[in-house]
Amino acid sequence: MYIDPHIHVVSRTTDDYEAMQKAGIVAVIEPAFWLGQPRTEVGSFKDYFSTLVGWERFRASQFGIVHYCTMGLNSKEANNEALAEQVMELLPLYVGKEGVVAIGEIGYDDQTEAEDKFYRLQLELAKEVDLPVLIHTPHRDKRKGTIRSMNVSEEHGLDPKMVIVDHNNEETVKEVLDRGYYAGFTIYPHTKMGSERMVEIVRHYGPERIIVNSAADWGISDPLAVPKTADLMRKSGIPEEHIKLVTYQNALTAFGQSGQMDERDWLDAAPLDQTKKMSGNSVLRGGQTPRVEGKTDIVEN
Amino acid sequence: MENQLTSYLTQLLERSANQKGLDWLSTQIEKIRTEAIPSKFFLAFSQASRYFKKEKLEVSNDLIIQADQLVSGFQPEFWDQLQTARTVLMLSYPQEKKPWFTAMNQLFETADMKEHQALFAALPLMPFQEELIPRAIDGLRTNISLVFDAIALNNPFPEKYFPEANWNQMVLKAIFMQRPLYRIQGLEERRNPTLAAIARDFAHERWAAGRAVMPEIWRLVSPFVNEQFFEDLKKTLATKDELQIKAALLTLRESAYLPAKELLKAYPDQVATLDMDAIAWESIGLEFQRTRV
Repeated sequence: MYIDPHIHVVSRTTDDYEAMQKAGIVAVIEPAFWLGQPRTEVGSFKDYFSTLVGWERFRASQFGIVHYCTMGLNSKEANNEALAEQVMELLPLYVGKEGVVAIGEIGYDDQTEAEDKFYRLQLELAKEVDLPVLIHTPHRDKRKGTIRSMNVSEEHGLDPKMVIVDHNNEETVKEVLDRGYYAGFTIYPHTKMGSERMVEIVRHYGPERIIVNSAADWGISDPLAVPKTADLMRKSGIPEEHIKLVTYQNALTAFGQSGQMDERDWLDAAPLDQTKKMSGNSVLRGGQTPRVEGKTDIVEN
Repeated sequence: MENQLTSYLTQLLERSANQKGLDWLSTQIEKIRTEAIPSKFFLAFSQASRYFKKEKLEVSNDLIIQADQLVSGFQPEFWDQLQTARTVLMLSYPQEKKPWFTAMNQLFETADMKEHQALFAALPLMPFQEELIPRAIDGLRTNISLVFDAIALNNPFPEKYFPEANWNQMVLKAIFMQRPLYRIQGLEERRNPTLAAIARDFAHERWAAGRAVMPEIWRLVSPFVNEQFFEDLKKTLATKDELQIKAALLTLRESAYLPAKELLKAYPDQVATLDMDAIAWESIGLEFQRTRV
């Protein structure tokens, strides 16, 4: 069993969902983020947030995967201040919804004043509703941005145990762990981490508070990054219980602090029955038969 | 009215839910009633999921009868605890038209799956129902079966309010999504020739694609059997499928078309075992859901 605690599944296909389920992923967390195309209207945020707690949650369930999400205004779009103000008014409507396990992903992108302002406002929101925080650390000037994220979080009085600092690398991990935070690692080809580097990090730092994710989205990314990294760890002699911690349990413990994520959500779920899947379904339209194995040139009736 | 409903629903919850949830609920009701602050109402509506389970209510026969007396067609035996609690919160919001619609529109527009289920199933308990017809029609555009069911199944709202075109769209979509038709209130009463023709076209489309036809659709056809429908029913009788045959026989039996009466005589044994219409259709629907969907 694996959890991918950071994946933007709205951008993924049904083939991906099938492959993820087959590879042993039982639950995913979809952090609210930007969509590649910047939004210009607050209504676009509203419908996106509604998708995260509505349609996508349903769609995932059709493939036997439990879907959770985090709610927040991302750092890139925080720079459109007029719009950002409106999004802040919208957020309280969503943070209490079922399956919302954190405020996130929030933090810095270019580390502007506007980003700082809305990051701080959302830290306060997280405190108010007692939810964990998922911090997105910047691609550029990462080390400084990561440290600043933690400093500001502490300035607002958040307990590091309630905060997951994501997209770490070899340069940031030590300080993040030393200061008591959860450290997320994103296995994303060419930009963030490769799985071989991940194995070495777990070997070096041990499994405590380390969380592996894919952050798969609309870019060249891999929705199977978590199970693949687990396999590589296995081949590299990392103990099974360490693998379980970094690819399942730590994410559950961290985001479970929301009270919105419970192992029973997937352990007690009715086993995925391919025929039952069709009931009232809509992902497989009107009587379409789910493809079970293998690709042929026949499209089933 | 909303007070009667609230006390009825609270009574239902007292039989199933735990004390912690009930205490939380009564605090929230009081706050929502007296303060009417939309943001607090929305938060309570969402957070009800932390206090109430998605388990079905325990509803006695007496309470089932009482529900129907309160609101004709209201069937809380199909409701779960969480949606009942959310309905109580919704009913507690002061029913002054303009602010009520402002709050409810926002709630509908930002609801998650279970919240939508609660809201749509509670339409027959809401005030200003005629102005909620567009909301219900729009809700049926969902592809989330949980939400579709909340409007279409065991809910008196569509039967009472939907114009014929929207009624027909709803029934057709229920067929397309393979939902149990016998759970649509007013399915028989609101049969119409247009819908019968749509059902027939749908059956032909399925046959052309080499797919089976949901047997319950023939129930829509009975009052309108003519030469064309008669051919379809003969074709259905010729399948080796017991459920299909049963459905065709029931349709022929209910029909006033003379050749239909004649044809029935060829199936004396099977006809003798058929139940009363409503019961027989329900058992076909149940069996279809159990074995084919």
